[in-house]
Amino acid sequence: MASEIGRTNGASAARSGRGDPNVAAILTWVIPGAGHVYLGAPIFGIVAFLCVTGLYLLGIRLSDGMAFEFLQTDLRSMIAPVLAPEVGNLSAVVWHMKSYGFGLPFPRPWPEHIDLGTFLTACSGLLNACLACKAHFDARVPAGMHSTKPSPGLLVLAGWIVPGLGHWLQGRRLRGVIVFAIVAGFVILGTILADGANLDRERHFYYWSGQFLAGAPSWILEALHGHAFVNADIPYVDAGLAFGAVGGLLNILAWLDVFSVAEREGLEHLVEDPAPVREVAA
Amino acid sequence: MNDLGVHSALFALIGLGIVAMAAFYTESDNAAAFRGLPRRFGMFCLGCGILALLLIVAERTVASIH
Repeated sequence: MASEIGRTNGASAARSGRGDPNVAAILTWVIPGAGHVYLGAPIFGIVAFLCVTGLYLLGIRLSDGMAFEFLQTDLRSMIAPVLAPEVGNLSAVVWHMKSYGFGLPFPRPWPEHIDLGTFLTACSGLLNACLACKAHFDARVPAGMHSTKPSPGLLVLAGWIVPGLGHWLQGRRLRGVIVFAIVAGFVILGTILADGANLDRERHFYYWSGQFLAGAPSWILEALHGHAFVNADIPYVDAGLAFGAVGGLLNILAWLDVFSVAEREGLEHLVEDPAPVREVAA
Repeated sequence: MNDLGVHSALFALIGLGIVAMAAFYTESDNAAAFRGLPRRFGMFCLGCGILALLLIVAERTVASIH
């Protein structure tokens, strides 16, 4: 029989949880799924590792590992990927840099699907960040219990894909609409001001990284109007780049808001796991 | 600068978005976030104005290329 615990104090939950939340989150950041292995959920951890790392490897395959070759020569350094979304999957990005780095010392054409490939490696980084959110929360849930509220990692993922959706799913609908209007509005206005020049990772590596955080609005705009040939001066391209990147970066604030509320509410609505059915000897 | 008005309007717009998101992040109550918006926006503009003034002074003095 499930019993509502209710109003669990955060500090006491951390003490009686399955592990240290920060250790679980950092382990996940370093190796996808490692946080859940640490928390005693090895199957989930292995499946998560296969999904997140598989996505990264698929991206590498499609882009031939050339994502960081988009960076201009003077921006290239070992810490250059720190500001790229891929950094959310630390082991993969370190391996990527070690194996491919900034490419060969002579120019070569981009692979046909490089944009899709670099998009997938970036997605892998953000997915792993959401997984780290889940690991942080799961570490605070005592063994033998689960929350009746949606996982904070899932809500952050929703808020990344559609800005404001995390708030909406939490029942904070006005806030969700405002977040969507600001984030999507900035990306759309930025695209208008930059005449679509902002929607190209090859041209604006770091601005694209910021804009990528705005989720579906930036992805849809890139699919529809991205990678356009620029053959004239664009008067407000700088303002457009700023609006697009700021829109994406502001979405991080929205995720933090969603995560903190989701974790608090999740710990306030803990129930005991159903008792396992025991086999009765005939 | 002929397009000073356009740049000012764009600055005001992006500043308003930043301040609004900061207000909603800080305040758990929507009404309190809305109430604090004008004061926060004023402080944001004042801070940016002081920073711009310092940059102009530096550009004309210690960082001048002339």
